[in-house]
Amino acid sequence: MTFNAWIKTVTFYDILVGMKATMSHMLHYKSVTLQYPHEKRTLPDNYRGMLSLLRYDDGTEKCVGCDLCEAACPSRVIRVVSAEVPGEPTKRYAKEYYMDMTRCLFCGLCVDACPVDALGMTREFEWSVYDKRQLDLNKEQLLAIGDRSFPVREKQLELQHPNVAFFNVAFKHLPQKPS
Amino acid sequence: MTELSLRLAVSFAQILAEMSIVMITVATMTYFERKVLGWMQDRMGPMEVGPYGLLQPVADGIKLFFKEDIVPAGANKAMFALAPMLTMVVSMIGFAVIPFGPNMTWDIFGMRIKPFVVADINIGILYILAIASIGAYGIILGGWASNSKYSLLGGLRAAAQVISYELNVGLAIVGVLLLAGTLSLVEITEAQSGGFWHWFIWGGRPDGFFPIHTQIFAFVVFIISAVAETNRIPFDLPEAESELVAGFFTEYSGMRFAFFVSAEYANMTLVSCVAAALFLGGWNAPYPGTILEYAGLEQLAWVEHIVWFAAKVYFFLFLFIWIRATLPRLRYDQLMRFGWKVMLPIALANIIITSITLYFFPRV
Repeated sequence: MTFNAWIKTVTFYDILVGMKATMSHMLHYKSVTLQYPHEKRTLPDNYRGMLSLLRYDDGTEKCVGCDLCEAACPSRVIRVVSAEVPGEPTKRYAKEYYMDMTRCLFCGLCVDACPVDALGMTREFEWSVYDKRQLDLNKEQLLAIGDRSFPVREKQLELQHPNVAFFNVAFKHLPQKPS
Repeated sequence: MTELSLRLAVSFAQILAEMSIVMITVATMTYFERKVLGWMQDRMGPMEVGPYGLLQPVADGIKLFFKEDIVPAGANKAMFALAPMLTMVVSMIGFAVIPFGPNMTWDIFGMRIKPFVVADINIGILYILAIASIGAYGIILGGWASNSKYSLLGGLRAAAQVISYELNVGLAIVGVLLLAGTLSLVEITEAQSGGFWHWFIWGGRPDGFFPIHTQIFAFVVFIISAVAETNRIPFDLPEAESELVAGFFTEYSGMRFAFFVSAEYANMTLVSCVAAALFLGGWNAPYPGTILEYAGLEQLAWVEHIVWFAAKVYFFLFLFIWIRATLPRLRYDQLMRFGWKVMLPIALANIIITSITLYFFPRV
């Protein structure tokens, strides 16, 4: 042990450096936390929150009942009962659509898998309930979430680029936004 | 007969006042610790109950009072109930000999009482050491009676730790006792009057400034051992929440848990009071006399004395929190090695050196 190291040991030098650090944090106190229920942080644009089913602007459901979301889901959250649209044998729709949100891990794979953009991830995250069964959502509830979270059914700005919009099946009939 | 009952009434009033001061300090500390700890970690601390969370101790007290009192299966019920009471009582009665303010007397109803010390006994510091050792029994009993492996481990650790560091506390204050020549805390404090260079941490002789009898090493040993004795971070191995859930009070809930926690804070306050009285001059201001005395208000000089004593005690309490915010927990072998191989030789050497210097340069 060198003399310097010995001096540092007997004067608790390293401890004093640490105590100076904590003291400077207290003197230049700036909280990094938020008072959550009273103030909420701004969420990023690509936040993956509560799942929802979307509608077209005319109020009809986008979902065509293809079951691809059910296939894509790693946690088996989604259960789709597909059926023909009455009177239109070429079209199908989701007669029943269930999401057991207790199992959802919010990976967004179902949203990616959907060919008609019928699924969307909202920014809602305050979904704590007293009864777990309230998290087993049916089609009406999921559509209601979509209605209140996406009042204007436009694609996100980055998805409106022509190169991407080519794959945007749902909005083919709409004129592209001028860029 | 009337005189006896009057004396009893006055004593009870004094004890009640002292106890409420200590309990208020404990309640303040529970709030203050979380707040300071939060600030040091860039958090806010309690903010919900009352403005800036000021009523948090009240909310905690109400919550703990109404919580279910669980006695684990297989626990020794009598011991289980005894342990928190023992710890609590022992941590409170240590304050009886602490002089909060100057050694003055008031004449009430033809009786002479000392308002700022409940019991001015001439073996004050010995009494505190004896009482503090009993506190270890509460912890060990609580750990043993809970019928839980974590509690038992915590109690065992507490036993070894408190005994090893109690020794260092006892040896560290021997230097001060040599200088003061008395065991009474009141007289020890009075021997340090007349400016901060007379405090025993510097140990200047009454006729000079030169700190020939400095007790600064004893002071450092005392503070470190006091932290260990009150089971505070970085020596909180008995409760080590990352290893032993909560150590010796794992199985306690409700009011009994509250007893253990308030006993911990009361013990912190007690060792802070002792450190202030022994090394930092107790109620003496760091300058000779008091400002109020110079301003012609001799009757109110005790206010200034009490403010100085409180300032010193709260400095130590803040130091406890500050250390907690900074340091991680020691390993068990480090704790033992530090106590026996580092602190103990320093304390012993301090006794020898103080005795030698005191022989050649006696205090007048």
